[in-house]
Amino acid sequence: MLFAPIGEQGQRILMNRSVLIVGMGALGTVLANHMVRSGIGRVRMVDRDYVEPSNLQRQMLFDEEDAEQGLPKVIAARNKLARINSSVELEAVFTDATPENIAGLLEGVDLVLDGTDNFETRFLLNDACFREGVPFLYGGAVSSRGMTALFIPGQTPCLRCLIQSADSGGQTCDTIGVISPIVDIVASYQAAEALKFLVGAADKRRSSLLTLDIWNNQYYEMKLGRAKDSCPCCGLRQYPALERKADDLLSLCGRESVQVSGHEPFDLDIWSGRLAPAVKSVKLNPYLLRAELSEGERLVLFADGRVLVQGTSDIIRAKTLYARYIGS
Amino acid sequence: MELIINGSLRELEAENLAEVVGLLGLTGKPVAAEADGQIVSSEEWKQMAVRPGMRIELVHFVGGG
Repeated sequence: MLFAPIGEQGQRILMNRSVLIVGMGALGTVLANHMVRSGIGRVRMVDRDYVEPSNLQRQMLFDEEDAEQGLPKVIAARNKLARINSSVELEAVFTDATPENIAGLLEGVDLVLDGTDNFETRFLLNDACFREGVPFLYGGAVSSRGMTALFIPGQTPCLRCLIQSADSGGQTCDTIGVISPIVDIVASYQAAEALKFLVGAADKRRSSLLTLDIWNNQYYEMKLGRAKDSCPCCGLRQYPALERKADDLLSLCGRESVQVSGHEPFDLDIWSGRLAPAVKSVKLNPYLLRAELSEGERLVLFADGRVLVQGTSDIIRAKTLYARYIGS
Repeated sequence: MELIINGSLRELEAENLAEVVGLLGLTGKPVAAEADGQIVSSEEWKQMAVRPGMRIELVHFVGGG
């Protein structure tokens, strides 16, 4: 409140603002930390994953106990954030952001913060935001490189105006790694732009795509320019990512992990009893069930009907195991 | 010819921006390009002739997080 450009009035404005953070991993936890400590009124968080030991190197809201319990990231984050600032209304949504549920997730939201780890979800957010007229604050980080830009419907280009391809060339945090400082830096730039936007400091907004490499000491700002007439979203008002295709039910999800969606919601207690005799071991918490298979892989069943096959990146193999234990 | 790509001098034989992107192995990747301070949409890369000394910035979008 002492910071004059926000001040008491700005703080009151922030209390009446609402953000959605999609992805509660490395970027998402830093974003959530900033939003909650800044006193944003409502913070909705969505993520499909649970905490694992390998996350702790960079995902700052989690600890070893969260990983041991296999808590969903949004639940572990909410538990921590509620102790940081109890006046913020926190909403933890443990699911995958999809074309079916994204409109609901955007409801009542002033700004969407990108904490995702893949382009597919980013295009989904971009398209949904530009259809609904909600600003989208992109951020990405891998290795020692990161970038961020604020895309505002009707005022700036969108992500699709700038890039068409979603091919990350296999360069993800799970394959080539990431060092935690770049994550904090990118998410902190995002958080600063979020505060400027939410408080209404339009004249202070950065209208560029910022890109930096903290290991190789590079920093560059590319002017965003104008929206493209040929852009599917900005020009043609089509939103390709909002059209669900049948094969999207199966997707690669991080390293050595395939997600199968489309099942009815699971009653985890019933499935725990059902799988226990057939697998090496099962571990159950209120949100998910982990089954270690004698084949070497692991199945993770989520209450919302998703299954993660861990230990393979072969979609056919994942389908086989799914069919063997869950059914077709 | 000599081009300044992302701030470094590079010797590349290319006629247009699409060829520069290709020579750097970035075709089909999520890349945004700027030539002499002006953003160039990917549909225009083929028409965008390059000349010696041109300053080209290629920003390879980052998908992790």
